[in-house]
Amino acid sequence: MKKRTETFSLGIYLLFVAALTSSMLLCICLGSVSIALSDTVTALHNSLWGLEIPAGIAKSIILNVRLPRVLNVALVGAALSLCGAAMQGLLRNPLADGSTLGVSSGASLGAVLALALGITLPGTTHGGVMLMAMLFAFLALVAILGLAYGLDRSLSTNSIILIGVIFSMFASSLINLIISFAGERIKSITFWTMGSLSGTHFGHSLILGVAVLVLGGVILGYSRELNAFAIGEENARHIGVNVRRVKLIILVAVSALIGICVSISGTIGFVGLVVPHMTRMLTGPNHKRLLPASLFAGAIFLLLADLVARTLLRPVELSIGVVTSLVGAAAFVAIFWRTRKAG
Amino acid sequence: MSKKTVSLFLCLLMLFSVATAAAEGTTFTVTDMFDREITISGPVTRIVATEPGDCEILYALGCGDALVGRGLYCDYPESITALPAVQSGADTNLEEILALNPQVVVMNDMAHSTEQVKLLEQNGIPVIATNANSLEEVYENIRLLGKVMGKDTEAEALVAEMQTTFAEIAAKSEKTDKTIYFEVMPLEWGLWSAGTNTFMHELAEICGMQNAFADLDGWQPISQEQVIERNPDYIVLVTGMGETAVDEVLNRTGWGDITAIQNGAVYNANSYSMTRPAPRLMEAAMDLYHFLNDIVDEEVPAA
Repeated sequence: MKKRTETFSLGIYLLFVAALTSSMLLCICLGSVSIALSDTVTALHNSLWGLEIPAGIAKSIILNVRLPRVLNVALVGAALSLCGAAMQGLLRNPLADGSTLGVSSGASLGAVLALALGITLPGTTHGGVMLMAMLFAFLALVAILGLAYGLDRSLSTNSIILIGVIFSMFASSLINLIISFAGERIKSITFWTMGSLSGTHFGHSLILGVAVLVLGGVILGYSRELNAFAIGEENARHIGVNVRRVKLIILVAVSALIGICVSISGTIGFVGLVVPHMTRMLTGPNHKRLLPASLFAGAIFLLLADLVARTLLRPVELSIGVVTSLVGAAAFVAIFWRTRKAG
Repeated sequence: MSKKTVSLFLCLLMLFSVATAAAEGTTFTVTDMFDREITISGPVTRIVATEPGDCEILYALGCGDALVGRGLYCDYPESITALPAVQSGADTNLEEILALNPQVVVMNDMAHSTEQVKLLEQNGIPVIATNANSLEEVYENIRLLGKVMGKDTEAEALVAEMQTTFAEIAAKSEKTDKTIYFEVMPLEWGLWSAGTNTFMHELAEICGMQNAFADLDGWQPISQEQVIERNPDYIVLVTGMGETAVDEVLNRTGWGDITAIQNGAVYNANSYSMTRPAPRLMEAAMDLYHFLNDIVDEEVPAA
């Protein structure tokens, strides 16, 4: 067999970066309010080179509203998609994703608990919510996988998805129960569960950026092990993978990343499920290609979904989850159909 | 006592008892706000109202004592919270309503399904459905409840009081092109504003101002960019977010060039009086008028 490089060449990476950059530029140029392209370019150019930016609407909207939002959307999309790809590989389950496995619901539960009990980290505004979301995302993942493993050692598609769905329902009824007892705080909790990227700022970009860099980096670093998992845990062990340790590290990284995303943007369904599948059709199943490609594709997918949400009904703004779930639900059925036919 | 006197006495007694029976068993028909003909046997002394606005109207008509149950969010006047709450909206506890044995239940269209109404009516409890989204409809709502409670005069007086209050404010207010942006949901949860067919829109007009989002109908989610572009002269928060709400708005990134932010013209309004179809809309209008004109007063000497 002809030996070929497993990873993408530099040229392909440049292509990804170019695609992502142009999507971001498109999303910065288009929005609820129409701003002349020249003003947009001036605002961006001048801020990049540290020049003085002419005051006005372009400065306020482009630099302070759209730019942070576009950055956050791209980072959340990248993180969710990468997490989905990693979980699908790790569990050898095409339907694995934060939303189908109940990890997002777990994160929501943690965040709602933090809001209801008033848990805060000193010196931060939303540190408590974020930490609880991360913690509960991990606990949810452990609980679901533990149950699934206890029921059926092979961690088969059906039992994991079933338990994930049941857990999601359980978590949402707990959330409703907490809301019933929350009294005065009911408002902030109810609204929090709706989630929104519209008010996010550069502070969030920094958190998300560091998270994607560190946790995403960890996940990407285990591409080889994920490839080994794809041919079965037994085989992975034979070729020298510390199965337990790798699994734990990836699960911790995935749940922390999902927890951070959920605490900032609320639950955004289906990105982690759909994007890795679409990517896999192009790159094939090798995680050394799939994971970085999913990262870029997730960012671009969510950017475009957000663009539709922002502009379709202007001045009214759609929830981004409406757009991703519409596309996602259709893709979910298609994938399920195909895997069942193939199986 | 002569036979004649006795028969006269008996006749009078009979007449009297017939009269009382009529008073106890008077049935009358009202048309509710969905054009449904509802027959009620009065006088009504036991009533359940599930909407805060209806409860406030009943109290304003002096019928607070007739209320035997309330919806979960009915919290004004404060004494009402002592009454048993029958939940609200889809969770409305019909069993509890039945147990309270009211003569009439007042519900609002938005929060209640027709199934709930049907079930109550099947159990012999007439349901009055209210639905007021404009001041005109609030007057209709007040007159309707006045009729149900036998307080027509009080209802007319209340309507007249409201009309006079609004007319006085409108007369005092200069008509301008200045705009108010009403924020009903804060940025953190995704902005929502109020368009036409809301009390906020009407109150802005009464105060001589334009609603910055007059192109919307009802409450809608809006984009942050739109607020910045429309550059409102005043921002009125109807979010019920507490004391820090104004500071949060003043410090939003990208909002610095908005006229309202530069003038510090941000007002944290009472979200209940400004959104409920109730007499407290008078307070809401006065509060808004005071806020808008304090700003003008400050600006005049500076200019």
